[in-house]
Amino acid sequence: MKRSYYFIVAVLVFASMLLASCGPTPATQAPAATATPAPVATTAPAGPTATTACAPKGNAGIPFPSGGKTVTIAFSQEPDLVDALFSSMSYAAWTAQMTLVGLATWDSTNTLVPLLASEIPSTANGDVSADGLTITWKLKPCLFWSDGQPLTSADVKFTWQVLVDPGNAVYTRAGYDQITSVDTPDPQTAVLHFKALYPGWQTLFTSGPNNQGNLQPMHILQGKTGLEKDPFIRWPTVASGPWLITDWVAGDHMTFLPNPNYFAGHPKLDQIQIKFVPDMTTEFNALKTGDVDFGPDFSESDIPSLTPLEPAIHTRVDGLGDFEHYLFNLGIQGTGPGQSDVSGPCPFQDVNVRKAIILGIDRQTIVNTLLNGKDTVPASLWPNSSWYDTNLQPYPYDPAQANTILDTAGYKQDTPGAIRHGMCGGKDTKLSFNFETTTKQLRKDAAVAVQAMLAKIGVEFKPTFQPAGTFFGNYAAGADMATGKFDIAGYTTGFYPDPYTDNFLCSSVVSKQNQGGDNNYHLCDPKFDTLMNAVNASADPAARKTAIDAVQQYMYDNYLVIPMYTRSNVMAYQDRLILPPTSGFSGMLADTFDWDVKK
Amino acid sequence: MWTYISRRVLQALLILLIITAVCFLLTRLSADPMSQYANRQGMTAADRAHIAHSLGLDQPVPVQYVKWLWLALHGNLGDSFFSRQPVVTLISQRLPLTLELMFTSEVFIIIISLLLGIVAAVKQYSLLDNVITSFSFIGYSMPIFFIALGLMDIFAVQFKAWHLPYLPTGADIWNPHDLGALAYHMVLPVSCLVIIQVAGYSRFLRSSILEVLGLDYVRTARAKGLGERTTLIRHALRNAMLPFITIIGLDIPFLLGGAIVTESIFAWPGMGRLFWEYAERGDFPVVNGVLLIVSSAVVFFTIIVDVLYTFVDPRIRLS
Repeated sequence: MKRSYYFIVAVLVFASMLLASCGPTPATQAPAATATPAPVATTAPAGPTATTACAPKGNAGIPFPSGGKTVTIAFSQEPDLVDALFSSMSYAAWTAQMTLVGLATWDSTNTLVPLLASEIPSTANGDVSADGLTITWKLKPCLFWSDGQPLTSADVKFTWQVLVDPGNAVYTRAGYDQITSVDTPDPQTAVLHFKALYPGWQTLFTSGPNNQGNLQPMHILQGKTGLEKDPFIRWPTVASGPWLITDWVAGDHMTFLPNPNYFAGHPKLDQIQIKFVPDMTTEFNALKTGDVDFGPDFSESDIPSLTPLEPAIHTRVDGLGDFEHYLFNLGIQGTGPGQSDVSGPCPFQDVNVRKAIILGIDRQTIVNTLLNGKDTVPASLWPNSSWYDTNLQPYPYDPAQANTILDTAGYKQDTPGAIRHGMCGGKDTKLSFNFETTTKQLRKDAAVAVQAMLAKIGVEFKPTFQPAGTFFGNYAAGADMATGKFDIAGYTTGFYPDPYTDNFLCSSVVSKQNQGGDNNYHLCDPKFDTLMNAVNASADPAARKTAIDAVQQYMYDNYLVIPMYTRSNVMAYQDRLILPPTSGFSGMLADTFDWDVKK
Repeated sequence: MWTYISRRVLQALLILLIITAVCFLLTRLSADPMSQYANRQGMTAADRAHIAHSLGLDQPVPVQYVKWLWLALHGNLGDSFFSRQPVVTLISQRLPLTLELMFTSEVFIIIISLLLGIVAAVKQYSLLDNVITSFSFIGYSMPIFFIALGLMDIFAVQFKAWHLPYLPTGADIWNPHDLGALAYHMVLPVSCLVIIQVAGYSRFLRSSILEVLGLDYVRTARAKGLGERTTLIRHALRNAMLPFITIIGLDIPFLLGGAIVTESIFAWPGMGRLFWEYAERGDFPVVNGVLLIVSSAVVFFTIIVDVLYTFVDPRIRLS
């Protein structure tokens, strides 16, 4: 064993030295597709849709022409893999939107629009059944994968089979597990049968800012399981979107060439390359030197540094449905349904204390100073989306009223500036709370500002910062938020494109008995459960809007959470780049088909 | 001799076992890989449990460790949690470019340290010595990210703004098969590593040479009528180099680990970045794989250096 062990070490060391002397890492070759060979480009594929007029235009990426138009994008992180059904990474989702697409996507106005589908199912066009249990998707005619194989409703059915196969470690099965069967009466029609009403059906088989439903190629993956380890999942060798990945040098860059068979034709560009640049200062410098054309992952705090670079480099800020919010720990200790291992701070059970704390935080000043005024203070947790209740006004900053409320609630200051205290649960209790969040600088800065603001109303706010991996840890890892051992916590999330979430339900409260729960608020309010479940009681968008408005009103009136500020995508790009109108709802790179460069 | 080597190898195996256990435990304590899936919309508890099971994270840590160790002993370092690629593949993709960067830097570091160390020692307390000493302290005391970003700002950003020939930031797309492009892109990262390392090494060599120059045998050499250059090169330098060579020898295994900061700033796809990017996400198989290779190399080269010493320096006796 010793000998073999040292042999391994020696081989590794000396092989690497040998490799070094032979030159740098060669571009890894695209993994060989295990599919049946692609047909000759000029031959129409077999199948019901094959006609002379309906033939693929090629079976490989269109080569980059001499003098062609190319753009370099910088990613601060390398996608772990590209098939977004298997990754939780934003960079994977962005990349997937370029190469693997779904039946529909969301446009810049937050409207679901057809992509591979010919139309969006609705009750009006008969594609949504009266009981909402049957959804019919119709695909565009003459769809082909980039290798020339037909893209049909069989791929829709196969995608569903991949998602529900317990042998595949997909990112999520939510919704897909509500489908009992998929019928494919013809190559362009896929009929989804649900076992129960699933109002969020629009997030299935579609690609959006917070959902990935790209279709899987049946002719490549059929008969396989454990797909998360398949080379295709990391590096798809065929594309349904406008671009095909033709080169991927690990840790360095990816190259995309046009998919010859994309239904909409040739993109305006001839090539896109993504360079992995982990350091944001380097990305900033690379924009200045022209090494990079587009930097997608800046933050609001970078805006003062980016603005002076006009007119050579432009900055774009797209509002997102994501928001930063602070959570009161509303947990009640117990072992019953909806109860937590430990109770949250006693004063938080009093709505007046929650209200006073919210009124004591000047969120607009935080937005103006730390976010350069580019984001907004939301009134609820569905900002920037069509689900947002625009009738609600953000809570005002009113420290005087906050002081009055706390005085009335029985929490007094012994001396001016002292921490308030009062009787709660039969004990003299100080209004002193720990606050936990991640080590991200923006969160640190905001927490320090909140600390100073709350001190003015006699509330002690003590921030502690943890690495994201620790902060977002699960119950088994003993993370404070999951186990309920926190007072107030803060992080960013978003509930869109579908408004429903189980994050507030009694059945989702995390506890020893329910370790897989995701109700970090430790809130269990039967009234609120009823309102939240009403959101999913209908497939009719108008009825759902009414229901989600009621949810927002209840949260607002009961001061259940602190909506701090919305978030945005902050992008910087060279003047030569022409970008179409878009928004945070389109996904970062969903519109690369329409990108162009000035002549 | 063979008894000595056998004893050292046994010690090394024990040390490696301890290192792997400690590293495995520390990585498990440092982050929860499933936290990547926390707070993600659409994921259910069942989804998370399924992924945890597929990654083997639902097993007790000691079981995970024994399984990992058994596979590692057979040359299988497992698969990355996130990219799902074999760790050996990931390392083999990154190692060549790291070695190119690090060995090139090491060559420059040795040459420049030698020159500066000798000059500073021979010209002790001269203006030149003081200048070298001053720059050494400046280089030694500056953080590498400051040097890296400073060099990039001057030689890439500002030079371009001044319409001068400028160096790349590293964020451009270039062909690593092109030796010219490779050399062009190495200038700034190699300079950073050289500035940091030369500062310490030249000071060390200077002290070593000065110590030797004061010994009796050097005085004897001079008394024999040997010239100053001959005395320095043939007699003093050979002995003064011994500890310097030891340090260089012990540096070699660390070259495999790459340079995290330099590789990150200059977008160099090497081992340092591999380690850091995967450590941030709690991708333990990759982290443990890199740690195992580097620690094995350290142990291996330490034994080699120890054994070589017995040949080079007759004063060392194995007993």
